[in-house]
Amino acid sequence: MQLLERYLQAVKFWLPKEQKEDIIAELSEDIRSQIDEKEAELGRKLNEVELEAILKQCGRPILVANRYLPQEQLIGPVLFPIYRLVLKIVMLCYLVPWIVTWIALLIFNSGYAAKFAGHSWVEILGSLWAQLWGTAFLAAGTVTLVFAILERVQRKSHFLEEWSPRKLPPVNNPSLISRFNSIVELAANMIFCLWWTANMSSGVVLNQVNLRIALAPAPWRYFFWGFLLIAFVNIGLAVANLARPYWTAPRAAIRLVSDMAGSVFFCWLLKANILAEFSGASIPPEKAVQVTALLNLWMGRIFPIAVILGVVIAVVNIFRIVRVAAPPPHIPGETTAMA
Amino acid sequence: MLNIVYVTSYAAHCTFMSSENFDNLRLELRRGGLVVAVLAALHSEQYGYTLRKIMADHGIEIDEGTLYPLLRRLESQGLLKSKWREEQKRNKRFYQLTVAGKQILEQLLTEWRSMDSSINSILKEYGHATSRTVFASR
Repeated sequence: MQLLERYLQAVKFWLPKEQKEDIIAELSEDIRSQIDEKEAELGRKLNEVELEAILKQCGRPILVANRYLPQEQLIGPVLFPIYRLVLKIVMLCYLVPWIVTWIALLIFNSGYAAKFAGHSWVEILGSLWAQLWGTAFLAAGTVTLVFAILERVQRKSHFLEEWSPRKLPPVNNPSLISRFNSIVELAANMIFCLWWTANMSSGVVLNQVNLRIALAPAPWRYFFWGFLLIAFVNIGLAVANLARPYWTAPRAAIRLVSDMAGSVFFCWLLKANILAEFSGASIPPEKAVQVTALLNLWMGRIFPIAVILGVVIAVVNIFRIVRVAAPPPHIPGETTAMA
Repeated sequence: MLNIVYVTSYAAHCTFMSSENFDNLRLELRRGGLVVAVLAALHSEQYGYTLRKIMADHGIEIDEGTLYPLLRRLESQGLLKSKWREEQKRNKRFYQLTVAGKQILEQLLTEWRSMDSSINSILKEYGHATSRTVFASR
């Protein structure tokens, strides 16, 4: 019977304090009744193997005890889908840029890369993992903690049970272009064109007594006309989008080309040592040369971020083209326009 | 040869999934029924072990890990009452239906019969449809 006592003790450990004795007394009685019945059937005392079989049939102590406990969830079924979505977004928007920036720093920033000089790729990836683990754990832990608190509040106030179908968002149409966005885009590009042609054609950004900022005239001509051309294309596209506010494959492709051209020009601008003059009455000439060189150097250092931004913009545009070009999903029971 | 291994393992996987699905659905189906059966069996006073025997004799196997927490839950809801009493030189806890329990049982049985009737009606129609499909395919 020592085996039975050990089993009951193991179950008792997991039970709620105020019910321990009561539950164990009842469970013990049930198992003893089973043993009595089996012994009466066999006409002898049970051996240890037979007793073990009865206890195994009762179940693992922690599982048996668990059935007596109130069902508790850290994050319940109401909030869990939202929790999972937020966790995915956090991972995507926090960890992915973190990794991309780390890789970009390693490739483009010689100072950062020097820290890993002489290390193998395995060691470098190990270092990334060591840093990433803490970051990921903190991000996921914070989200989980917030949702655990929300779950407790929800359980008391039932704030998620109050809802109205009228407040649900409109049906999502990925091809639809917001007219407001088109108007803003049109206005912004027109203002840009006016300002650009009025102020930037000569390449002199600022021409005051105290401060004069001028750009290198030779490469600036390309940037001036390049950015102006892109702005005109964007104006044309905004007008078309305003008239027919649905993405089509050709228009999405024009947007891709326009955005890519803008990104390429911007990246080139950062690397072109475009700042030619930074001077002023109160600035000594040597200091002005130093500042000019420093500004050009820092523009060059922004280059990796601009490249990453360009890649992200390209991916978004390509995704739009694929979505627009793909045939609409077939919904069973829904008749087609042709029918 | 590889195909045979793949097909065999796939079939085994499907059988396993199907069996697992059946077990889960069976568990869901039984859950509500168990409450009705336990309440019905407790019209007369019983202790846990005899209650399990009665249920088993009527084709409803229920393990102690399911029965005792269920009895406690029903007691906390005021549908059962219990008392410890010595019988055959051992202390046993006896359960019996309360007045509120009897009323709830009646309501549940009405619901049960209504569900039974509805499902039978659906099955009757579904059975005809299946026959038609089978004959049409031949």
